[in-house]
Amino acid sequence: MIFSKYLFFILSFIAIYAALKVLISKKPMHSVLYLTLTFFAIGGHYILLNAQFLAVVHIIVYAGAIMVLFIYTVMLLNLNIQGEFPKSRLAKFASAIAGGILLFTLIAVFRSYDLKVLADPSLNQIGLVKNLGKILFQDYYLPFELSSILFLAAMVGAVMLGKKDIY
Amino acid sequence: MKAIIALSILAVLNMFFGVRKMKKVLLPLIFIGLIITMILNISDWGKSVHYFNEMFIADNFSIAFSSVLILIGILIFMFANIYYKGVERPLEDIYALILFAIIGGIVMASFGNLILFFVGLETLSISFYVLAGSKKFDIASNEAAMKYFLTGSFATGFLLFGIALVYGVSGSFNLEAINTYILGCNGNVPMIFIAGMLLIFIGMSFKIAAVPFHFWSPDVYTGSPTLITAFMTTAGKVASIAAFYRLITIAFISLHSELTTTLTVIAVLTIIVGNLSAVYQDNLKRMFAYSGVAQSGYLLMALIVLGPKSAGILLFFVLSYVIATITAFAVLMLIREERGTFFIPAFRGLAKNNPVEAFAMAIAMMSLAGIPPLAGFMAKYNLFVLTAEGGYTWLVVVAVIGSMISIYFYFKPILASYFSEGEPQHKIESSVNFKINILVLSILMILLGFLPQVIINLL
Amino acid sequence: MGFNIYDFTGMTHNMHVSFMEHMSPLMTTIVEWTIIGVCYLLFIALFGLFLVYAERKVCAMFQQRMGPMRVGYWGLLQTIADFIKLLMKELITPKGVDKFLYNLAPFIIMIATFMAMAVLPFAKGLQTLDFDIGVFYVTAVSSIGVIGILIAGWSSNNKYSLIGAMRSGAQILSYELSVSLSLVTMIILAGSMQLSVIVEGQRDAWFIFKGHVPALIAFVIFLIAGTAETNRGPFDLAEAESELTAGFHTEYSGIKFAFFFLAEYINMFIVAAMAVTVFLGGWMPLHFGSLESFNHVMDFIPPLVWFFLKVGGVIFLIMWFKWTFPRLRVDQILTLEWKYLLPINLVNILLMSLVVLTKFHL
Repeated sequence: MIFSKYLFFILSFIAIYAALKVLISKKPMHSVLYLTLTFFAIGGHYILLNAQFLAVVHIIVYAGAIMVLFIYTVMLLNLNIQGEFPKSRLAKFASAIAGGILLFTLIAVFRSYDLKVLADPSLNQIGLVKNLGKILFQDYYLPFELSSILFLAAMVGAVMLGKKDIY
Repeated sequence: MKAIIALSILAVLNMFFGVRKMKKVLLPLIFIGLIITMILNISDWGKSVHYFNEMFIADNFSIAFSSVLILIGILIFMFANIYYKGVERPLEDIYALILFAIIGGIVMASFGNLILFFVGLETLSISFYVLAGSKKFDIASNEAAMKYFLTGSFATGFLLFGIALVYGVSGSFNLEAINTYILGCNGNVPMIFIAGMLLIFIGMSFKIAAVPFHFWSPDVYTGSPTLITAFMTTAGKVASIAAFYRLITIAFISLHSELTTTLTVIAVLTIIVGNLSAVYQDNLKRMFAYSGVAQSGYLLMALIVLGPKSAGILLFFVLSYVIATITAFAVLMLIREERGTFFIPAFRGLAKNNPVEAFAMAIAMMSLAGIPPLAGFMAKYNLFVLTAEGGYTWLVVVAVIGSMISIYFYFKPILASYFSEGEPQHKIESSVNFKINILVLSILMILLGFLPQVIINLL
Repeated sequence: MGFNIYDFTGMTHNMHVSFMEHMSPLMTTIVEWTIIGVCYLLFIALFGLFLVYAERKVCAMFQQRMGPMRVGYWGLLQTIADFIKLLMKELITPKGVDKFLYNLAPFIIMIATFMAMAVLPFAKGLQTLDFDIGVFYVTAVSSIGVIGILIAGWSSNNKYSLIGAMRSGAQILSYELSVSLSLVTMIILAGSMQLSVIVEGQRDAWFIFKGHVPALIAFVIFLIAGTAETNRGPFDLAEAESELTAGFHTEYSGIKFAFFFLAEYINMFIVAAMAVTVFLGGWMPLHFGSLESFNHVMDFIPPLVWFFLKVGGVIFLIMWFKWTFPRLRVDQILTLEWKYLLPINLVNILLMSLVVLTKFHL
C-alpha cells in the first residue's frame, strides 16, 4: 500500500530527527522528551509491521514506565544549570572520527547488501498476540523463563543498593 | 539445565533464610546447594543433551566450564566469611547475586542460540554491576559500579546490534543454522554479516577485557570489594571466554580462517599492553587487573589455533588461572584486613610470621607467572605448543616475552615477603580453616602441574 | 440507511458503502475520519459538561446541600456558564516557564484521553477501532497521560506544580500495574484482548458473575486502582488544595486549565467504561441463565442505554468514593498499592487461571 510507504518515511524521519535532538538539545528535559518521541515513532514502525502487541508493549514499557522514571531522575537531579562535563578538544575530535568511521562503515555495509523481505508481516500475522504467544512459549520458552532470573537479579540488586547498610 | 534449576532454587532459598535473619544457616546451605549443583551438573557428562529446541546444549564442553564456574562459586563462598567478618547482616542479597551471576555464566557456557546467550550475558553483567557497587559508602566502589555499568551497557549495545545484523542476514538465532547459512553462501558472505560478527566480537572483547576495550578493568577491579573482584576476574573471564569459544567454534567456524588476523592482533596487543601496564603498578589489586588483561590475551590465543585439544587446553588454562587468582586474592583479603593497604610493603616480612599465607601467595604468583612445575606453567606450555604447531611461532615469541615481563611484577610480593630487609610487621591472626583452605589450593596447583593431561584429555 | 437501535453494524456499513459510491477511497477515508472526530469531540465536550454537573450535584447530595440551583432549571446550565467563563479568561503564561512544554502539556493529556476513547465499544458496531489487543491498547495510551502531567508540573516552574506532578506520576505509575493486572485476570477468563470479543463473550452472563470470586476481587481492585489512576479522591493528593493549591495545573488558566479539568472527567468515564466493558458485560443486557421471559424483557432495552446506565452507575460509585473517604497520604497510597493490591492481584491471577483451567466458569 502506497499509504504505508509514506507513513514509513514520515515515522523514520521523526525517529531520526528526535534521536538527533536527544543529543543536540541543551536542556536534559527536552532530551528526555525527544527520546519519548523516538520511542513513539518506533512503536509506529511496529504497527506498520503488523506487530500490534509489540507496539503496545513498547509504548507501555518505554514511553509509559521507563521514560517517566527518566523524567523523574532529570527533575530530581536538576541538571538545568550546569551544562556538560568538561571534555578536551582532542577527545571530542577523536570520538567524532571514531563514530564517523563506524557510521561510514555501517552505511557502506548496508548499501552493499540488497535488503530483501524475508517474510511479509501482513501475511504471516506473526505479530498478533496469539502467534507471538505461541512462539514465545514454545520456541523461546527457555530464554523467556531465564529472563525472570535476570529481572530477579536486577530487583535484588536495586533493593540491595537502596538499603542503608555498609555492605 | 539441572544446574540452573538447582542454583535458582538455591538462590531463592538463600534469600528466604536471609529475610528470616537466619545468618548461620546461609553459608552451609549454599555449600550444600553448590555441591549438589556440581553433582547434578556432572551427571549429564557424556550425554550431550539438547534442551528446548536447541536452546541449551549440555555437551561436555559446557558441563566442564559450568563445573569450573560452580567451583569458583564454592571457592568464593569459602572466603566470604573472612571478607565479611564482623558484618551483622545476613548478606543474603550479595550471596544471591553471586549465585545469579553463576547462573548467567552457566548459560553463557552452554547456549545454542544467540537469544539465550544474550540473556545469560545480561544476567552475569547485571549481577556484576551491582556487586561492584556493593560496598555502598566507599566512593571507589561506587565509581567502579558506575563505570562498569556505563561502559558495560555500551558494549552490550554493540553486541546486541551485532546479533541483530547477524540475525537479519542469516534469518536465525541458532548457532548451527548460522553456520549452515555461512556454508550456503559459498565463501561469498555478505559484508553486513561480517559487520555484525565483528560487532559481536567487540562486545565479547569488552567482556573479557581484551586490549582496545580494556580501559574499564583497572578502575572496576580496584574499586570493587576484594572478594567481588576475585569473583569478577575469574567468573567473568571463564564465562565470557567459554561463550566466545562456542561462538567461534559453532557459529563462525567456517569463517575462522578470515577471523584469525583480527584475533591475533587483539591477542598480541592484549598480552603486551596488559603485561607492560602491570609492571608499573604498586597497588596489588590494580596489578591483578592488568595481569588479568594479559591473561585474556593468552586465552584468546586458544581461539586462534583450533586443534582437537584446544578446548581441553582452554579448560586447563582457565582452571589454573581460577585457582591461582582466588588463592592470591584470599591472602590479599587477609592482609588488607590487617594492614589496611594493598600495596607491596604490606607483604614485608610475611614469611617470618605467617609462613602458610606467604607460601600460598608465592605458589599462586608463581603459577600465574608460569614457573615450571606449577599448573600455570603447564597451561601456558600446552597453549604455546598448540599455537606453535598451528604455525604462529611469532605469536608464541610475543607471548613468551610477555610471560617474562610478567615474572617481574608477579615476584614483587614474593620478594617482599621472603627477602625484605628491616623490621618484620606484626603477625596476622588467621583461622585454621583458612590456612587449610589455602594450603589445599596450593597443593592443587602443584598437583595440576604434574597431571595436566587429566584435565586436557577430558574434552 | 436503515437505523437499528440494537445493532449499528448495518448502519455504519451502509454509510461506508454510500460514501464509496460517491467519492474516491481517499476522500471517503477523510470524510469518515472527520465525522468520527466530530462525533468524539461533541461527545467529550457534552459528556464532560454533564459529568461536571453530576459531580456537583452528587457532592451536594452527600453533603446535604442543593448544589447549583440558580442557572437554569435545577442549575442545569451552570456548567455551561462556567465553561463560557473559562473560555473568556485570559491565558496567562507565567515568567520563567519553558514555553513550548508549558503549552504542549494540556494537549498531550487531551490526546491520551482521545486515543483511549477510540477502542471503547458503545454498542454493537459502534466502535471506531477493534484492535486485536484492545485492552492493552487502553492501558498503553492512558500511560501517555502521565508524561503530560509531568511536563505540566515541571514546565510551570512552580514548586507546588512540581510536587503535585511527582506525586501524581508515582501514583499513576504504581496503580497502572494493578489496573493492568486486574485486566489481565479478566483476559485470562475472556481468552482474548479484543474488546468486541470480550463483550460478545458475556452474552449469557457478565464476567463478574462468570468468574466467581476472582472476578469480583479483580473488579474491586480495578475500581480502586482506576480511581487512583485518574487522580481522584481519595487519591487526589496530587492536587490537594490544602497543601498544593492545585497540584500540577496550578499555573494554568482559561482554556488550558479547562483541558486538564475535562481530561480528568473523561478519564473517569474511560475507567468506568473499561470496568463496564470488561467486568459488567459492556452493552450486553442483564441476563440470568434460565429466566427466559426476564432475559427477553431485558433484550428490549437498547444496548446504548444499557451501556450508559452501567457507566453511570460506576461513575456514581467513583464519585461516592471521592465525597466519603478522606484523602490518603503519599506513603499510605504507595503502601496500599505495593503491599496490598499487587500481591492480592498476583494471587488472584493464579486463582483465575485455576478457575479457567478447571472449566469452573462455564
